[in-house]
Amino acid sequence: MLKGGIVGFGRMGLTHFSILNNHPEVNFVAVCDASNLMRKNIGKFMGLETFDDYRTMFDDMGLDFVIVATPTATHAETVASAIDHGLHVFVEKPFALNSDDGRRLVAAVEQAGLVNQVGYVIRFNDVFREVKKLLAADAIGELYFFRMEMFAPTVLKEVKSGWRSKKAQGGGCLYDFASHGVDLINYIVGRPVAVAGSVLQNIYSVAVEDLVSTTMLYDDGLQGSLLVNWCDASCRKPAYRMELYGKQGKIIADLHAYKVHFKGEPPLDGFESGWNARYITEFVEPVRYYVRGFEFTRQLDYFIDGILTDRRESLCSFADGLAADEVIEKITRDAAERSC
Amino acid sequence: MDRIILGDNQFFGINHMSEDKAQAQAERFRDVGAILEVIDTAYDCGIRAFMFNTHDKVAQLCDHFRLHPERYADLRLYPSMPYAHKYANVVAEKGIFGALNEFVFADASVKQAVGTILRGGKTVFTQNMMEVMRLLVDAEMKMFRGLNVKVVFLQNIVTDILLGMRVKECFVEFAAHLEKKYNVEVGFNTMNMPKLVDFLLDCGLENPIVCSSINKIGYLMSPDMESYEEVMNTRSFRPMAMSIMASGAVPPREAIEYVAGQKNIRSIVFGASSRKNIEETKKIIEEASC
Repeated sequence: MLKGGIVGFGRMGLTHFSILNNHPEVNFVAVCDASNLMRKNIGKFMGLETFDDYRTMFDDMGLDFVIVATPTATHAETVASAIDHGLHVFVEKPFALNSDDGRRLVAAVEQAGLVNQVGYVIRFNDVFREVKKLLAADAIGELYFFRMEMFAPTVLKEVKSGWRSKKAQGGGCLYDFASHGVDLINYIVGRPVAVAGSVLQNIYSVAVEDLVSTTMLYDDGLQGSLLVNWCDASCRKPAYRMELYGKQGKIIADLHAYKVHFKGEPPLDGFESGWNARYITEFVEPVRYYVRGFEFTRQLDYFIDGILTDRRESLCSFADGLAADEVIEKITRDAAERSC
Repeated sequence: MDRIILGDNQFFGINHMSEDKAQAQAERFRDVGAILEVIDTAYDCGIRAFMFNTHDKVAQLCDHFRLHPERYADLRLYPSMPYAHKYANVVAEKGIFGALNEFVFADASVKQAVGTILRGGKTVFTQNMMEVMRLLVDAEMKMFRGLNVKVVFLQNIVTDILLGMRVKECFVEFAAHLEKKYNVEVGFNTMNMPKLVDFLLDCGLENPIVCSSINKIGYLMSPDMESYEEVMNTRSFRPMAMSIMASGAVPPREAIEYVAGQKNIRSIVFGASSRKNIEETKKIIEEASC
């Protein structure tokens, strides 16, 4: 049995806890949270050890791994301490607020030989896993353009308080939401060498951006656009849409389905020339325990499996988290130059 | 309990298979009138039982039901609460207790009710988690006042998070409060039926009502179909089936024949928006259930 702890018992901390709490190889023993009320209730109803300082929890509890699900600004410090204590670490996205911190953490975790993962959960979505496989099989030929769009009803009125409205704590659409799109592009298409025409736009928020748009450029002539708006009241929940244009075909994907169009004869069995629609119901694999989506369980079970099998490579490592942070910094710089 | 219940996902742009379909449904049912038309059609086809989330639009539907008591004399409601998406962002922003505070104290009547126990201030009050839960339930139940409510369900995301946390008090107190104050039975929606059933029995809840996806392709059935079938055959509880067509992946007749073949299933919840589909589905369920 692996002994686990959680730092940050908010919405994501709760979700992760409930998914892993009934994993046959996991025994959660401790929770660290800034809220005194939360600690009292966890102690009373769940019988776990609670802490207001993660260092004390790491010192006292003899943990094997930790889940870090606090606001982004605290990630670097918390993760560094966990690595010092020899803990395997799963940290929520985005990884760190600046890439210097990120690079230090990547070096430290690799040196320590610990399992490390960043919570870019869309990588574990069944549709995007299929899309990744299609590209790996060169199904639509050489890519020349992509478009990634994300919409959510997250901020629908002026917000002044809370960590989400503070840039220094990792608030704003770019870090908090668009980071998923940046990472998915890194994962499926590759990392851009440059970004251009970036705009960070306020809609309702006062101190942070609500809309992100940018063009991503690649060495081989490929280009793509990213458009993210979290002020869209027409969505019921966050929506992701990726369109990939290749010389032999085109893919349109969201979290539940994808369509692929082949210009000529498809290079893969099971597809036909022209449009092919595939729904998640056709290819999803069940999970051991379901909360909020298959991908949430899949990413955590992958992390635990990495510890149990001594796996060192990761589908979403700290290095991948750093790569997303670096693109985010490029977008921030590009947008700042434009507005000067 | 009713054998056939019309569900409401189609009215709120919820489709677990296709975002295009969800979008089309959201456009069609943008106003309550369009939803009412479908409900009236179903009612006229002989369906009396409806499952609703506590969505804002459902409050408007309930106002309409109350205004026309004769038209809906035989209506039986199976509400599911809370409508989780309205809480999600506030929880991410302010934490669980911040969100509870915001929702509990947003409600004027709750404010009044709480006034008497607020002597120690908000902090002392919110430390009593079970009291907060009871007040949230009361706030959500208000939209159904005066209507015939048969079973009140705890929505699946909340059920499954609490099940993961294994806090028995939440389940026991939720059931006790609704039974005592509203004289209704409680049920639980879940994506993890086998685990939940054993947990509820372990909590001492007798013959619990559990509503979950049950379909021929095993979609949204965690951990797997075999565990579902085994639990339905060996445990003492009242299973209800939803997502029987797996959001459209299984044709109606095939879907219903599978579900009807599971002899212990008490109720079948299905979603449909046209007279033809409602009539056909109802007829197939009745034939298959004989």
